[in-house]
Amino acid sequence: MRRRPPRVAVWLLTRRLGAEWREFVVGDLEEEFFARSSDSPRAARAWFWWQAVRCLVSPPPVNRDLPSAQSSPSPGDSIVQTLIADIRYAFRVLLRAPSFALAVVAVLALGIGANTAIFSMVNSVLLRPLPFEEPDRLVRIFHVPPQDAFPGMPTFAVSPANFYDWKRDARRFERMAIYRFRQFTLTGAGTAESIVAGAVGADFFEIVRVRPALGRVFLPEEDSQARRQVVILSDRFWKSHFGAAPDVVGRSLRLDGEPYTIVGVMPASFSVAAWGATARDLWVPLAYTDDERAVRENHNAQVVARLNAGVDAAQADAEMRVISTRLEKEFPKENAGWGATVVPLHELLVGDVRMSLLVLLAAVALVLLIACANVGNLILARSLARRKELAIRSALGAGRARVFQQLLIEALVLGLIGGAVGLLLAQVSLDAGATLLADQVPRADEISIDGRVLLFVFAASILTGILAGALPALRAGRVDLTDALKEGGRQEGTVGIRTRRLLIVCEVALSLVLLMGAGVMLRSLLALRGVDAGFDPRNVLTMRVTLPETRYKEAAHVSGFFDTALERVRALPGVQAAGAIDDLPFRGGSVQPIVKEGHAELLPRDQPTVEVRKITPGYLRAMGIPLLRGRDFVAGDVESMLVSRSAATLLWGDDDPIGRRVTLPLQSRTVLKQVVGIVGDVKQGELSEAAAPTVYEYSREYSWNSLALVLRTSVPPTSLARPAADIIHKLDPDQPIEELRTMDSVRDETLTSQRFSAVLLGLFAAVALTLASVGIYSVLSYIARGRSREIGIRTALGARTPDVLRLVVLEGMTPTLAGIAAGGVAAFGAARVLERLVFGVSALDPMTLAGAAGTLAAVALLASLLPAYRAARQDPLKALRAE
Amino acid sequence: MWLKPKSPALGDFEQLVLLGVLRLDPDAYGAAIRQEIHARSGRDVSINAVYTTLDRLERKGLLRSWVGDPTPERGGRRRKFYALRPAGVAALQQAYQAFASMVDGLERRLEAK
Repeated sequence: MRRRPPRVAVWLLTRRLGAEWREFVVGDLEEEFFARSSDSPRAARAWFWWQAVRCLVSPPPVNRDLPSAQSSPSPGDSIVQTLIADIRYAFRVLLRAPSFALAVVAVLALGIGANTAIFSMVNSVLLRPLPFEEPDRLVRIFHVPPQDAFPGMPTFAVSPANFYDWKRDARRFERMAIYRFRQFTLTGAGTAESIVAGAVGADFFEIVRVRPALGRVFLPEEDSQARRQVVILSDRFWKSHFGAAPDVVGRSLRLDGEPYTIVGVMPASFSVAAWGATARDLWVPLAYTDDERAVRENHNAQVVARLNAGVDAAQADAEMRVISTRLEKEFPKENAGWGATVVPLHELLVGDVRMSLLVLLAAVALVLLIACANVGNLILARSLARRKELAIRSALGAGRARVFQQLLIEALVLGLIGGAVGLLLAQVSLDAGATLLADQVPRADEISIDGRVLLFVFAASILTGILAGALPALRAGRVDLTDALKEGGRQEGTVGIRTRRLLIVCEVALSLVLLMGAGVMLRSLLALRGVDAGFDPRNVLTMRVTLPETRYKEAAHVSGFFDTALERVRALPGVQAAGAIDDLPFRGGSVQPIVKEGHAELLPRDQPTVEVRKITPGYLRAMGIPLLRGRDFVAGDVESMLVSRSAATLLWGDDDPIGRRVTLPLQSRTVLKQVVGIVGDVKQGELSEAAAPTVYEYSREYSWNSLALVLRTSVPPTSLARPAADIIHKLDPDQPIEELRTMDSVRDETLTSQRFSAVLLGLFAAVALTLASVGIYSVLSYIARGRSREIGIRTALGARTPDVLRLVVLEGMTPTLAGIAAGGVAAFGAARVLERLVFGVSALDPMTLAGAAGTLAAVALLASLLPAYRAARQDPLKALRAE
Repeated sequence: MWLKPKSPALGDFEQLVLLGVLRLDPDAYGAAIRQEIHARSGRDVSINAVYTTLDRLERKGLLRSWVGDPTPERGGRRRKFYALRPAGVAALQQAYQAFASMVDGLERRLEAK
């Protein structure tokens, strides 16, 4: 079979070559191609392409006088040809000034690279649809809790009975599914492991519409107690625990000591981050019992749904509101004040980071603008140095438009090279930062460079080229011929000064906005770090131990385990105090209505709610939470309660709460708990929010099977991790330990997104500051050189060094101060946006503004001192003789 | 330019191309010339460079050209053949003589070891 030469290359050649040459050149190439392809077809193709490229760049000339030539060149040829000529010329010019080209490409690559990296995050996180079929129709449904009882809480988990009513009545949804998270202990394969599984109701996988990679999804009849012991694995779990064995379906897994049959494996693309980051590895049927289905007042489940085609979230939301109003009337005791809302899945997933990402994108765009100003300045300097060349071109008949085009194309070539290098930089930095990003932004695993990012880079490169090149090109188009051609015409350094000053003003203004933003974010972060959370996180080690319910059925068994463990941990050298709690601060937890003894239980809308935490004796001391009045829990207490200061005020006002009794109706309407003391307020949720009223409960025998142990140590806390874990394993070798970490790191984790924004903004501000100072320095050196004659005369006439210094420094500081003023105004605009991201500091904090302005002024001063000093030191005679 | 030389001096690459045409006579066409130059001088030149030079030499009056018949191994395309005109022969002779007289007596030092 005869091989054909690369079709695209042949096509390109026929387009590019004049009719006169087309046949012979292509024929020759094809002939040699066949000769070569008998040896190695691949090498022949490569050779053909290489020859074709060389022909495309400089084809044989078109001879209009030869009879064989086409009488008129095809239209557009001339534009294309001048364009190609210009591009080739641009490359030659740039190669002649490699240090200039290198500097420009480096600055642009930095600017475009940073923009590309941030844009690919924006693209993957905000713009790209979720990796599901028709993702626009996927929504989550939440309760809206009564705002008096749950101030500031926009959504709430769903109660099962309400869900089943919604499902029955709602018409705007194709399907709805309920699910929740279940903690399992996985045994049978080495050390025991604690795993959070998604327990999903019927239709869950039909809503998401993802086909399993192996096996099948759950059958409707498996959503029942009798047949619930089946499990679906994630791709990750399949690989990590089964080595991607193809015959995994049908094998079994021991969860909480019970065998579960593996029925399927989900594909790697099935990202479940949207359903809750904790459950990524296993799915089991929810299998509610009839009693569980009927629970209406306990809100502990999640709902995902698929809208009917053509229905949008707002319409579905309206329907849900109507249904919940009806359910409020029907079940006032449980539902009074509880509404419902529909949130698009995508919104839910990325809503929180949208603002931060867009702010970062804006910031990084400012960096690029500063880079443009810098490059514009460099190009301007170059084009002035080339005044003679440009003047000759004009003298030979090149119009202003032609010169403009030539310079613009040079800038575009630089922009595109910068863009290509920037793209590489972005890819490298995204790879390097991948692990870091995973904790900071949702969908981090999907961040990649795709067609849209490439388009963005291309557009950014072109735009950058135009921005950086247009001003100098316009400026250079106005060359005064006689002046430029005269040997020793006007001295370098006096042309285009106004343009350069304008560039400094822009750079300084943009840098100020960036510095201001970074400063405010940093102060906000510091303010958050300085927040008193109500406990002392230093020297505290925590670890979570979850006892499987199948093996620890009795309360005595559970409390026995933890009491023994705590007792032994306390005996470790270096441990000052130890206790346990169900949910650590910052991790959220149970919020429940609370009823004082002797008061009737009100409708949920009106009933006060408190954070409820279960703790053991020793927890307060271990966390350093102050006991304000009364006493701490002691071993042997029965149904005792501690209340936080704000809970005491909420429930009893100025009265003394100690000795009073309350019920927590969600747990039991009959068990009365007695208040024994008042403790300090602790932030259970976000650091930036006020501490919510909290009650702590303890009873001698408890069945809370998942507790976080808390150890206060007198030695570095991590050094006790191993001995403490050993104690647990000695008690029960099958018992996994999770989240072994210091309280400092738990606290730090709540600041990750703040830190992420602050660090990136700080980085951008640093780049901006560097670019701006380099810009100021180069402009001033240029100006000072241009005025060397004037300075020489001044020195000769008796001006002393300080006079000259003042002269040059003033030259640089005037546009700097103008830039600071302009930047200050722009910062007002930026502050409006930033306001929503900062905590404990105004987005237009005068201190930060003053600091940023001061920093810029100082940097500008430094950048102008060197040229000034050089000007003052010059020999006046030499300067005067220079002409 | 007031003093235009009668036959312009040949460039280095022009000499190679002319010699290629001479060697291949009467079957000198682009690809063959390219391969001849590659095989003998080791210079892997591009086809466009060959044709650009052939074209220039033809316009200088050193070469003439004609078009052959279509052949299947070229996808039915025709070849463009070149041959030296007397002026071309003269220019080559001039170049050769200049070279030879400059080399005269230096052969032993120039001979590749």
